Amino acid sequence: MAIHEKSLIDVDRLLTHDNLVIDGVDVSGHWNTMITPRTLTDYDDSFEAKIQKIAGAENVHRCWQCGSCTNSCTMYAQNVNFNPRYWIYATRLGLKEEIIKDKDIIWQCVSCNKCTNICPKDVKPEGVMKALSHWLEEEGHTEETHSTTFDYEFWDQIAKRGRIEDSAVLKNFFAKTGQALAQDWLVEMVKRMMKHLPMTHLIHSALHAVFPPKTKSWGKTGDVLKAYVKEQKEAAHG
Amino acid sequence: MSKDTVLIVGGGPAGLSAAAGVAAAGKKAVLVEKEDRLGGAPILSGYAKLVPSGEWAKDAIGRMVDGVESSSNVTVHKSNKVTKLDGDAGNFTATLSNGETVNAGSVVLATGFTHFDSINKPEWGFGTFPDVITTTQLEQMVGSGKIACPSDGRVPERVAILLCVGSRDRQIGREWCSKVCCTVSANLAMEVREMSPETQVFIYYMDIRTFGLYEDKYYWKSQEEFKVKYVKARIAEVTAASDGRLLVKGEDTLVKRPIVIPFDMVVHAVGMDPNEDNPEISNTFGVGLEKHGYIERAEHYTNTAGTTRKGVYSCGSAYGPESIDDSISQGSAAALRVLADMAG
Repeated sequence: MAIHEKSLIDVDRLLTHDNLVIDGVDVSGHWNTMITPRTLTDYDDSFEAKIQKIAGAENVHRCWQCGSCTNSCTMYAQNVNFNPRYWIYATRLGLKEEIIKDKDIIWQCVSCNKCTNICPKDVKPEGVMKALSHWLEEEGHTEETHSTTFDYEFWDQIAKRGRIEDSAVLKNFFAKTGQALAQDWLVEMVKRMMKHLPMTHLIHSALHAVFPPKTKSWGKTGDVLKAYVKEQKEAAHG
Repeated sequence: MSKDTVLIVGGGPAGLSAAAGVAAAGKKAVLVEKEDRLGGAPILSGYAKLVPSGEWAKDAIGRMVDGVESSSNVTVHKSNKVTKLDGDAGNFTATLSNGETVNAGSVVLATGFTHFDSINKPEWGFGTFPDVITTTQLEQMVGSGKIACPSDGRVPERVAILLCVGSRDRQIGREWCSKVCCTVSANLAMEVREMSPETQVFIYYMDIRTFGLYEDKYYWKSQEEFKVKYVKARIAEVTAASDGRLLVKGEDTLVKRPIVIPFDMVVHAVGMDPNEDNPEISNTFGVGLEKHGYIERAEHYTNTAGTTRKGVYSCGSAYGPESIDDSISQGSAAALRVLADMAG
């Protein structure tokens, strides 16, 4: 190995080439490894403000990097790469790439809120973790979570009719997330229903399945709500 | 009678306070100032709003100057130095550079400090790039009412304030903390953000030492209300980018990575050096200097405001880096010692 200290270098900065020709000189073999520079060359001045618009992260600018959050963190005890202090710093300076690099662990925050309770500057780090997770998802750096898919299904029905139809929410959620409708718990529930036959309930359910429930005089309320939500999102994410 | 007169050297906050104290007790003070006006560093260097009062220096220190200049108990000699001091405690005779002699029972050295000259840290670009300035120049800029890059007058998008320039630096023999620069820098950062909201201010620090009640009033406030960003990095050098901006190079200690960040203006938070005249002052007045070059303080508990020579007192930043408010308090303490000597 050409570079003995490879373990000291971030894996994503190592570029290896099977065949490498530079200025007409074949440098394949021992010289096939390049390291991208680790120097930070700029700050994204608008990033902090963007994250602060997401609920929970309003106080991120207060952080003075004492590290109490990381010290108290349940997840940090499991994985030293889970470092709220560091992500808060990266957010403040707009080191977006640093956040994206950790997209697969930021969401692991278990919301125990030990960080929020211990923080001497009332930064509410737990809220920042949630905000960062949302940002990563909304910007498409991480896949849409099931919980977001569920929210959208729920919300779509509200916008259409002002009410939801439980069985439709379930059916569509399972379909969208590629899960089987015949979940164990659902099968069990249907079995018991067949056994006890709560007639009124079954009739209601059947009716609702055919004629989805709708709020009276819902009219254009759904469109107005949709326009408002769109406006809010645009204001938050530009 | 000479015993009822005190000679005060230096017309800054400490000297003005000492003179005012002596005069208020109905005794005579002779104030000698080497510059052509009173007020000391806050006036001579054109400070803007003072910490912690928030009052303009020219108003706050101006009041002190007016009080002393209008007092019938104080005789002021501007553009003068003491060239010789004969006699002993209770009966000194000082010779001024204009040839006059002053008889005094005691002497107060309120001779202050000298701002660190950033030329001595050439790697940080002062004197090489016009957009690298010092905190005293930023004070003047705030006083003038407009934040602009000296090179072309544009409003800076980003300003970096580098702390500990001429302080806490063994390389250049400054092994002391200048005490006020963190607070002053936080204060200036807030002024800049207020005057020019589109300007982002970054403070590069090793530690933040906004002592005592300045913690929330300056450090927290600048961060929480004015969105000033604090970056833990000791800067290695300031160079020019091809587009005319400045490149601040160093290592971000918290990210553990090198940084080369573009800035429009870089401000050195200059420290407080011992008064450059201290060797001469030490000779003239026969007082010792401590190892950093400030006036040596006597045993403080029972010989408050004392020096190594009986009858010669000192106060303020002549002793070491000091805030304006504490210099004023120390001036009063020196006045009390002098008055006690007169009574005894």
